[in-house]
Amino acid sequence: MSEASGLPPTPTPTPTASSSATAPSVPAPAPSTSDEFLLNVGPQHPATHGVLRVVVTMDGEVVKDLQPHIGYVHRGLEKLFENRLYEQIIPYTDRTDYLSAMANNWAYVSAVERLLGLQIPKKVEYIRVLMAELNRINSHLLWLAAYGLDMGAFTPFLYAFRDREEITVMVEEASGGRLTTNYFRIGGFTHDLPASFFPRLQKFLRRFGRAVDELDTLLVENAIFVARTRGVGVISRERAISYGMTGPCLRASNAPLDVRREVPYSIYPSLDFEIPAGRNGDTWDRSWVRIEEMRQSLRILRQATEGFPEGEHRVKVPRNLEPPAGEVYSAVEGPRGEVGFWVVSEGGRKPYRVKMRKPSFSNFSALPEILRGLKIADLVAVMGSLDLVVPEIDR
Amino acid sequence: MSSPAEILAALRARYPGMESRPVDPAPQVTVPPEGVRQELSFLRGDLGFDFLVFVTALDRPAEAIIELVYRLFSYSARVSVVVRVRVPRDGGRVPSVSDLYRTAEWHERETAELFGVEFSGHPDPRRLLLPDDLEGFPLRKDFTHPNLRRLPEVIAE
Repeated sequence: MSEASGLPPTPTPTPTASSSATAPSVPAPAPSTSDEFLLNVGPQHPATHGVLRVVVTMDGEVVKDLQPHIGYVHRGLEKLFENRLYEQIIPYTDRTDYLSAMANNWAYVSAVERLLGLQIPKKVEYIRVLMAELNRINSHLLWLAAYGLDMGAFTPFLYAFRDREEITVMVEEASGGRLTTNYFRIGGFTHDLPASFFPRLQKFLRRFGRAVDELDTLLVENAIFVARTRGVGVISRERAISYGMTGPCLRASNAPLDVRREVPYSIYPSLDFEIPAGRNGDTWDRSWVRIEEMRQSLRILRQATEGFPEGEHRVKVPRNLEPPAGEVYSAVEGPRGEVGFWVVSEGGRKPYRVKMRKPSFSNFSALPEILRGLKIADLVAVMGSLDLVVPEIDR
Repeated sequence: MSSPAEILAALRARYPGMESRPVDPAPQVTVPPEGVRQELSFLRGDLGFDFLVFVTALDRPAEAIIELVYRLFSYSARVSVVVRVRVPRDGGRVPSVSDLYRTAEWHERETAELFGVEFSGHPDPRRLLLPDDLEGFPLRKDFTHPNLRRLPEVIAE
């Protein structure tokens, strides 16, 4: 076998032996009578949504085995963090997952805040929840748009981007950025919410409920879509947990597990919302869970708007941040699952070690198991339903 | 067994040296490298820690060790536990647990290439993220590379 970023492995004379060497937990497929061949997908391929590559062992049009190759956008961020001040790390966390900058900011700053022992004002917690839930809707909308394109449906893309724009404008007015927002600070935010934020949010909340129903009927309830996704790419609850899957990909497998419930943080315990869970763990369930989560995010946004308190948008922190020696793991529920930062401090202004626990990394690692035995046409359907963000896999 | 108190009691009985570190509420246990498979299958099978959150390591050059860190979570009891394994920096080896937790396969590949620890019995011990021609183990403290520059001291002051 060649190394991770080298050429595809040369087809060995005994393909069954090669597949059993790479995937020992699954019994080796029975010897085939037909010709097997390797199919390379990526690293530049529209369905991979980023620079990653899978080498598929095909038997006719059936996927016998699949070899993911990652690392094309590995930037060594964890090494870089060891040479940055605590407050300098925040903008890098945006760029690990450009679709959930808020969740990544939040997981990181909350880890440092816990190391410092900071008390976070109620208002900051409310803004964080507002931003995180807007970010979740934003990310799910982009997933829906791109997944629709993957599956041959062009129209939902336009609808989803129309709705995304409203959120992006709100976020831009608050933070100055549309995608990599760099809005969070240790102890609060760069700026308070602008005066235009709540009028815009109210308008969005009035309209978006119907927009979700529209997207639901346009794509997820669409007969062609259902035919391509129902019963395709099933993973059981036990296997999904064993692969460390989190987020909608796990919840689709009849596992209503969510960091907001399992390890409650911020003001989530005081909010009323449900954790949607699929029944079969197939590709359709993974899609449906995201639609349902947008509805739940709307409920959270309404409650957070109603209870929004007065106060400061930032606590005073020392100019030189020097957390005492210690370590902490702080996780939030991002749009793709558990986003966690494990920060180790040995004193001083730079962290000793920062480990990023990213959902796409674990979710993607289950792909060979989900896809084995399916047709090649299902590759795009299954991979899209995992909602991968490649910089987050490679970090 | 599912209540957090029962699990903590069971942990304390099995690991008398169990401690907790500043800030992180999760109990921390240190196990010898050769016992890691046995302990993780106990934690998974008997105590219900079904979710391996991550595997990573810390380089401790002063003590000449690499400290491996396995963070586990139990969905049924909603408690975490951190398992630590100390191996020498030179020739550190630890058995792979990728059959107990499937997610460990990729986490171990990543830890192996970034810290230079060998996971014996690993089903697929190739590099995961790094280019083939990179020498050294980037997350060790003494790693150097022409593109890796120190932060200017003006800012660091």
